[in-house]
Amino acid sequence: MEELKTYIESGILELYVLGQLSATECTEVEAMAITHPEIKAEITAIEIAIENYAMENAIAPSKQIEEKILSQISNHSAPQTTPIETKIIPLYEDQNDNKIKTLRFALIACSVLLIVSLGLLFSAHRDLNIAKNQITALNLDKEKFATAVSKLEFNKAGMENQIAMFETTEWNTIRLAGVANSPKAQMVVYWNKTDKSILINHTAMNLPKTDSAHEYQLWALVDGKSVSLGVFGENAKEAVQQMETIQKAQAFAVTIEPMGGSANPTMEKMVVMGEINI
Amino acid sequence: MAPAKKISLSEEELVNGLKSQDTAAMEALFSMYSGALLGVISRIVVQTEVAEDVLQETFVKIWNSASGYDPSKGRLFTWMMNIARNLSIDKLRSKDYKNSNKNQDIENNVDFIDEQKKVTFNADTLGLKDLVTDLKPDFKDVLDMVYFKGYTHVEAAEELNIPLGTVKTRVRMAILELRKKFN
Repeated sequence: MEELKTYIESGILELYVLGQLSATECTEVEAMAITHPEIKAEITAIEIAIENYAMENAIAPSKQIEEKILSQISNHSAPQTTPIETKIIPLYEDQNDNKIKTLRFALIACSVLLIVSLGLLFSAHRDLNIAKNQITALNLDKEKFATAVSKLEFNKAGMENQIAMFETTEWNTIRLAGVANSPKAQMVVYWNKTDKSILINHTAMNLPKTDSAHEYQLWALVDGKSVSLGVFGENAKEAVQQMETIQKAQAFAVTIEPMGGSANPTMEKMVVMGEINI
Repeated sequence: MAPAKKISLSEEELVNGLKSQDTAAMEALFSMYSGALLGVISRIVVQTEVAEDVLQETFVKIWNSASGYDPSKGRLFTWMMNIARNLSIDKLRSKDYKNSNKNQDIENNVDFIDEQKKVTFNADTLGLKDLVTDLKPDFKDVLDMVYFKGYTHVEAAEELNIPLGTVKTRVRMAILELRKKFN
């Protein structure tokens, strides 16, 4: 009991109530208060004395501050974080606003770019179609020219051959004239004097047209017999065409025969004929 | 609005209301104790507007840290008073407060507080003056410093140039005097 009295009289309990003790000292006093009711009672007595003293010396706060405090409490808002937050949030919003503005601008720019691109794409597509059509037309022209050129070359080769045949002494020229059912028809057959080979010149012939199922067949009349010297078409690739060689003949004739030729000439389809006067 | 009447609740009701964040309990608390707490604050922070700011901070802290109050360790008022005193001392030592009082150096702070005190004693309650003058001067000085001015008892011992044990004893004697007055 004497120890407790000393403890109480040390003044530590007053300092405890006045909040003057360190955390360790506070814990010590609290532990003592739990185990010793006298100490608890002493603390309460000190508290009540100071409380009454404070009540006695109260200063009434102004009406404004009362309203301010109670409204702040009823809003449940923390006192110091609120103003800071209201200042911080707009700052972030500003940054976001700037970002959004930038993004919005970028979006508009992208849209414009897309529209322009689509326009250019359509324009390019149209130009491409025009170019394709032009290429087709040019190709057609080119083919026409190529045809014309090949025809010219064909004619030139034929003409050169005719001139050569006219000038040479190695070849005999046999003219075949039209018969009764084709009086205007005519043709030339060249017969080599030494090797007896036969050439015909497509530029130097004017024969009646055949259909697609028929072609011309050249015959040699040898001692009253007809010998085939081969067939030739209306549209030959080469102006000058070599036929079968014949050693001996009295006349040449051309008949119109089914494709591939016949074994014996169809006499009623004879178009030209010429005797050999050598 | 009807003029505010003194709302009074038992300490247990107040504590329960506070812990369950009941604003009605807070209004009762304000009605019962705001004057006493402002009285404590005003001994330390003299300027009325600043003292009321501290009172606001005090109630907000009471409200926000109600869950931290343990009734077994002491009375509610003691807890609230110590919050008010600590916030007052913090304010007194804060940069803002010092700036508003023409940049007092830390070394001059004690004298500075004393100078402030003179004004308050003259301007404020007469009752307090009477009560304090009833105490023996030795007790009065110590209680004055520790309770009113925000000194720690260590600072008071240094300031008065007396042993720490003597400070404790004198605080005890001063409060015993108060107990005789009120009980």
